[in-house]
Amino acid sequence: MKKLALFSAFGFALILFLQAMPKNDSPLQPEISDEAAQIPENVMAVVQQKCYGCHNAESKNEKGKEKLDWDELNAAKKSKALATMKKITEVLEGDEMPPEKFLERKPEGKLTDEEKATLLAWSSGKKK
Amino acid sequence: MSKLWKYVGIGLLIVLIAIQLVPNELPSVKSENPADIHESPWMEEEISIVIKKACYDCHSNQTNYPWYSHVAPFSWLVAKDIREGREELNFSEWENYDPLDQLAILDDIYGEVEEEEMPLPIYTWVHWDAKLEDSERKALMEWAERTMDKIAETIE
Repeated sequence: MKKLALFSAFGFALILFLQAMPKNDSPLQPEISDEAAQIPENVMAVVQQKCYGCHNAESKNEKGKEKLDWDELNAAKKSKALATMKKITEVLEGDEMPPEKFLERKPEGKLTDEEKATLLAWSSGKKK
Repeated sequence: MSKLWKYVGIGLLIVLIAIQLVPNELPSVKSENPADIHESPWMEEEISIVIKKACYDCHSNQTNYPWYSHVAPFSWLVAKDIREGREELNFSEWENYDPLDQLAILDDIYGEVEEEEMPLPIYTWVHWDAKLEDSERKALMEWAERTMDKIAETIE
Protein backbone atom coordinates (compact mmCIF):
# COMPACT_ATOMS: atom_id res chain seq x y z
CA MET A 1 0.00 0.00 0.00
CA LYS A 2 2.80 2.34 0.92
CA LYS A 3 4.62 1.31 -2.21
CA LEU A 4 1.59 2.14 -4.34
CA ALA A 5 1.30 5.60 -2.78
CA LEU A 6 4.97 6.23 -3.38
CA PHE A 7 4.68 4.99 -6.96
CA SER A 8 1.72 7.22 -7.79
CA ALA A 9 3.37 10.18 -6.11
CA PHE A 10 6.40 9.62 -8.29
CA GLY A 11 4.25 9.31 -11.37
CA PHE A 12 2.41 12.48 -10.47
CA ALA A 13 5.68 14.32 -10.02
CA LEU A 14 6.86 13.05 -13.37
CA ILE A 15 3.72 14.32 -15.09
CA LEU A 16 4.15 17.70 -13.43
CA PHE A 17 7.75 17.78 -14.57
CA LEU A 18 6.93 16.96 -18.18
CA GLN A 19 4.13 19.51 -18.17
CA ALA A 20 6.50 22.16 -16.97
CA MET A 21 9.18 21.43 -19.58
CA PRO A 22 7.74 23.29 -22.59
CA LYS A 23 6.69 26.16 -20.38
CA ASN A 24 10.26 26.59 -19.28
CA ASP A 25 11.28 26.82 -22.92
CA SER A 26 8.75 29.31 -24.14
CA PRO A 27 10.06 32.51 -22.55
CA LEU A 28 13.34 31.93 -24.43
CA GLN A 29 11.64 32.64 -27.76
CA PRO A 30 10.43 36.20 -27.64
CA GLU A 31 7.99 37.42 -30.30
CA ILE A 32 8.62 34.59 -32.72
CA SER A 33 5.43 32.61 -33.08
CA ASP A 34 5.51 28.81 -32.87
CA GLU A 35 5.08 27.99 -36.55
CA ALA A 36 7.68 30.55 -37.50
CA ALA A 37 10.50 29.41 -35.26
CA GLN A 38 12.62 28.43 -38.26
CA ILE A 39 15.55 30.74 -37.81
CA PRO A 40 17.79 30.03 -34.81
CA GLU A 41 18.23 32.72 -32.22
CA ASN A 42 21.93 33.32 -32.76
CA VAL A 43 21.21 33.98 -36.42
CA MET A 44 18.28 36.26 -35.63
CA ALA A 45 20.55 38.24 -33.30
CA VAL A 46 22.91 39.06 -36.19
CA VAL A 47 20.03 39.66 -38.58
CA GLN A 48 18.35 42.05 -36.18
CA GLN A 49 21.52 44.09 -35.91
CA LYS A 50 22.90 44.03 -39.44
CA CYS A 51 20.16 43.15 -41.94
CA TYR A 52 16.72 43.80 -40.58
CA GLY A 53 16.91 47.58 -40.88
CA CYS A 54 16.37 47.36 -44.65
CA HIS A 55 15.01 43.83 -45.01
CA ASN A 56 11.68 43.97 -43.23
CA ALA A 57 8.06 44.26 -44.24
CA GLU A 58 7.83 47.93 -43.27
CA SER A 59 11.17 48.92 -44.80
CA LYS A 60 11.40 52.24 -46.59
CA ASN A 61 14.19 50.74 -48.67
CA GLU A 62 12.00 49.39 -51.49
CA LYS A 63 14.71 47.35 -53.13
CA GLY A 64 15.81 45.80 -49.87
CA LYS A 65 12.26 44.94 -48.96
CA GLU A 66 11.54 43.43 -52.33
CA LYS A 67 14.68 41.30 -52.41
CA LEU A 68 14.35 39.89 -48.92
CA ASP A 69 11.98 40.28 -46.02
CA TRP A 70 13.07 38.39 -42.91
CA ASP A 71 9.55 38.33 -41.50
CA GLU A 72 8.33 36.67 -44.66
CA LEU A 73 11.22 34.22 -44.65
CA ASN A 74 10.52 33.29 -41.07
CA ALA A 75 6.97 32.32 -41.99
CA ALA A 76 7.79 30.84 -45.41
CA LYS A 77 7.13 27.26 -46.41
CA LYS A 78 10.04 24.90 -46.88
CA SER A 79 10.55 25.32 -50.63
CA LYS A 80 10.55 29.11 -50.45
CA ALA A 81 12.74 29.14 -47.35
CA LEU A 82 15.35 26.84 -48.91
CA ALA A 83 15.45 28.90 -52.10
CA THR A 84 15.88 32.11 -50.13
CA MET A 85 18.59 30.61 -47.92
CA LYS A 86 20.47 29.51 -51.03
CA LYS A 87 20.39 33.07 -52.36
CA ILE A 88 21.46 34.46 -48.99
CA THR A 89 24.42 32.06 -49.07
CA GLU A 90 25.47 33.33 -52.49
CA VAL A 91 25.19 36.97 -51.45
CA LEU A 92 27.21 36.35 -48.28
CA GLU A 93 29.90 34.37 -50.08
CA GLY A 94 30.25 37.20 -52.58
CA ASP A 95 30.42 39.78 -49.76
CA GLU A 96 27.60 41.63 -51.49
CA MET A 97 25.74 42.61 -48.33
CA PRO A 98 25.50 45.01 -46.63
CA PRO A 99 26.02 47.10 -49.79
CA GLU A 100 29.25 49.05 -50.16
CA LYS A 101 27.43 52.35 -50.53
CA PHE A 102 25.65 51.74 -47.26
CA LEU A 103 28.92 50.88 -45.52
CA GLU A 104 30.50 54.13 -46.71
CA ARG A 105 27.98 55.97 -44.58
CA LYS A 106 27.80 53.39 -41.83
CA PRO A 107 31.06 51.42 -41.61
CA GLU A 108 30.02 49.82 -38.31
CA GLY A 109 27.26 48.03 -40.26
CA LYS A 110 29.79 45.65 -41.80
CA LEU A 111 29.45 41.99 -40.90
CA THR A 112 32.30 40.71 -38.75
CA ASP A 113 33.90 37.43 -39.83
CA GLU A 114 32.20 35.73 -36.93
CA GLU A 115 28.78 37.11 -37.82
CA LYS A 116 29.22 36.13 -41.43
CA ALA A 117 30.20 32.62 -40.35
CA THR A 118 27.11 32.38 -38.13
CA LEU A 119 24.82 33.39 -40.97
CA LEU A 120 26.55 31.12 -43.48
CA ALA A 121 26.48 28.10 -41.18
CA TRP A 122 22.73 28.48 -40.99
CA SER A 123 21.95 29.50 -44.58
CA SER A 124 24.09 26.80 -46.14
CA GLY A 125 22.91 24.16 -43.68
CA LYS A 126 26.50 23.35 -42.71
CA LYS A 127 25.82 23.85 -39.05
CA LYS A 128 27.90 21.99 -36.45
CA MET B 1 23.96 70.35 -98.87
CA SER B 2 23.05 67.27 -100.82
CA LYS B 3 26.72 66.59 -101.33
CA LEU B 4 27.23 66.61 -97.55
CA TRP B 5 24.49 64.01 -97.08
CA LYS B 6 26.06 61.85 -99.72
CA TYR B 7 29.36 61.88 -97.82
CA VAL B 8 27.61 61.14 -94.55
CA GLY B 9 25.80 58.24 -96.21
CA ILE B 10 28.97 56.81 -97.69
CA GLY B 11 30.75 57.28 -94.36
CA LEU B 12 28.03 55.41 -92.49
CA LEU B 13 28.08 52.62 -95.04
CA ILE B 14 31.84 52.25 -94.65
CA VAL B 15 31.52 52.15 -90.86
CA LEU B 16 28.72 49.56 -91.13
CA ILE B 17 30.87 47.37 -93.35
CA ALA B 18 33.94 47.88 -91.21
CA ILE B 19 32.24 46.80 -87.97
CA GLN B 20 31.28 43.51 -89.62
CA LEU B 21 34.97 42.67 -89.39
CA VAL B 22 35.06 43.02 -85.60
CA PRO B 23 35.33 39.49 -84.26
CA ASN B 24 32.18 38.44 -82.45
CA GLU B 25 31.24 34.90 -81.62
CA LEU B 26 27.63 33.93 -81.08
CA PRO B 27 27.22 31.29 -78.36
CA SER B 28 27.08 27.87 -79.94
CA VAL B 29 23.94 25.82 -80.51
CA LYS B 30 23.77 22.20 -79.33
CA SER B 31 20.99 19.88 -80.38
CA GLU B 32 21.85 17.10 -77.91
CA ASN B 33 21.24 18.21 -74.32
CA PRO B 34 20.98 15.23 -72.00
CA ALA B 35 20.72 17.46 -68.91
CA ASP B 36 17.86 19.54 -70.30
CA ILE B 37 14.93 20.24 -68.00
CA HIS B 38 12.78 18.29 -70.46
CA GLU B 39 14.64 15.19 -69.27
CA SER B 40 13.61 15.91 -65.66
CA PRO B 41 10.32 14.84 -64.09
CA TRP B 42 9.29 18.48 -63.70
CA MET B 43 8.46 19.50 -67.23
CA GLU B 44 4.82 19.73 -68.25
CA GLU B 45 3.39 19.94 -71.74
CA GLU B 46 1.75 23.34 -71.43
CA ILE B 47 4.81 24.81 -69.70
CA SER B 48 7.16 23.33 -72.27
CA ILE B 49 5.41 25.25 -75.04
CA VAL B 50 5.60 28.55 -73.16
CA ILE B 51 9.22 28.13 -72.08
CA LYS B 52 10.40 27.10 -75.54
CA LYS B 53 8.86 30.09 -77.25
CA ALA B 54 9.62 32.73 -74.60
CA CYS B 55 12.84 31.65 -72.86
CA TYR B 56 14.78 29.11 -74.88
CA ASP B 57 16.52 31.53 -77.24
CA CYS B 58 18.62 32.89 -74.37
CA HIS B 59 18.18 30.34 -71.59
CA SER B 60 19.10 27.13 -73.38
CA ASN B 61 21.68 25.72 -75.78
CA GLN B 62 18.99 25.64 -78.47
CA THR B 63 19.08 29.24 -79.61
CA ASN B 64 17.26 30.11 -82.80
CA TYR B 65 19.43 32.71 -84.51
CA PRO B 66 17.55 35.02 -86.89
CA TRP B 67 19.47 36.44 -89.87
CA TYR B 68 20.13 39.85 -88.30
CA SER B 69 21.81 38.21 -85.32
CA HIS B 70 24.77 37.72 -87.66
CA VAL B 71 24.92 41.42 -88.53
CA ALA B 72 26.85 43.91 -86.38
CA PRO B 73 25.95 45.83 -84.29
CA PHE B 74 22.90 43.62 -83.50
CA SER B 75 25.12 40.57 -83.29
CA TRP B 76 27.04 42.15 -80.39
CA LEU B 77 23.89 42.67 -78.35
CA VAL B 78 22.54 39.23 -79.22
CA ALA B 79 25.81 37.54 -78.25
CA LYS B 80 26.01 39.41 -74.95
CA ASP B 81 22.40 38.76 -73.96
CA ILE B 82 22.61 35.07 -74.76
CA ARG B 83 25.94 34.64 -73.00
CA GLU B 84 24.58 36.31 -69.87
CA GLY B 85 21.23 34.57 -70.17
CA ARG B 86 22.77 31.10 -70.26
CA GLU B 87 25.08 32.02 -67.42
CA GLU B 88 22.14 32.95 -65.17
CA LEU B 89 19.96 30.04 -66.20
CA ASN B 90 20.47 27.40 -68.83
CA PHE B 91 17.50 25.05 -69.10
CA SER B 92 19.72 22.73 -71.15
CA GLU B 93 22.00 22.27 -68.10
CA TRP B 94 19.16 21.87 -65.61
CA GLU B 95 20.05 18.41 -64.31
CA ASN B 96 23.62 19.59 -63.61
CA TYR B 97 22.40 22.15 -61.07
CA ASP B 98 22.13 20.98 -57.49
CA PRO B 99 18.61 20.94 -56.02
CA LEU B 100 19.15 24.08 -53.93
CA ASP B 101 20.28 25.95 -57.04
CA GLN B 102 17.20 24.69 -58.83
CA LEU B 103 15.02 26.03 -56.02
CA ALA B 104 16.71 29.42 -56.11
CA ILE B 105 16.34 29.56 -59.89
CA LEU B 106 12.66 28.63 -59.81
CA ASP B 107 12.08 31.28 -57.16
CA ASP B 108 13.78 33.81 -59.45
CA ILE B 109 11.68 32.65 -62.39
CA TYR B 110 8.57 33.26 -60.32
CA GLY B 111 9.69 36.81 -59.46
CA GLU B 112 11.02 37.77 -62.89
CA VAL B 113 7.89 36.55 -64.65
CA GLU B 114 5.60 38.12 -62.06
CA GLU B 115 7.34 41.51 -62.30
CA GLU B 116 7.41 41.21 -66.10
CA GLU B 117 11.18 41.62 -66.08
CA MET B 118 11.36 38.60 -68.37
CA PRO B 119 11.32 38.03 -71.27
CA LEU B 120 13.36 41.20 -71.87
CA PRO B 121 11.32 43.97 -73.56
CA ILE B 122 13.99 44.41 -76.24
CA TYR B 123 13.58 40.73 -77.08
CA THR B 124 9.78 40.69 -77.27
CA TRP B 125 9.94 43.91 -79.25
CA VAL B 126 11.35 41.86 -82.10
CA HIS B 127 9.90 38.47 -81.18
CA TRP B 128 6.21 39.21 -80.85
CA ASP B 129 5.34 35.58 -80.40
CA ALA B 130 7.53 35.45 -77.25
CA LYS B 131 5.37 37.98 -75.46
CA LEU B 132 3.65 36.30 -72.52
CA GLU B 133 -0.10 36.52 -72.05
CA ASP B 134 -1.28 37.06 -68.48
CA SER B 135 -2.57 33.49 -68.44
CA GLU B 136 0.85 32.22 -69.52
CA ARG B 137 2.59 34.25 -66.82
CA LYS B 138 0.24 32.82 -64.25
CA ALA B 139 0.80 29.29 -65.52
CA LEU B 140 4.58 29.72 -65.37
CA MET B 141 4.47 31.13 -61.86
CA GLU B 142 2.23 28.36 -60.60
CA TRP B 143 4.44 25.76 -62.24
CA ALA B 144 7.54 27.29 -60.62
CA GLU B 145 5.94 27.19 -57.19
CA ARG B 146 4.57 23.67 -57.66
CA THR B 147 7.95 22.42 -58.84
CA MET B 148 9.73 24.10 -55.93
CA ASP B 149 7.48 22.22 -53.52
CA LYS B 150 8.24 18.93 -55.26
CA ILE B 151 12.00 19.54 -55.26
CA ALA B 152 11.94 20.67 -51.62
CA GLU B 153 10.33 17.36 -50.69
CA THR B 154 13.39 15.55 -52.00
CA ILE B 155 15.74 17.56 -49.78
CA GLU B 156 16.76 16.40 -46.27
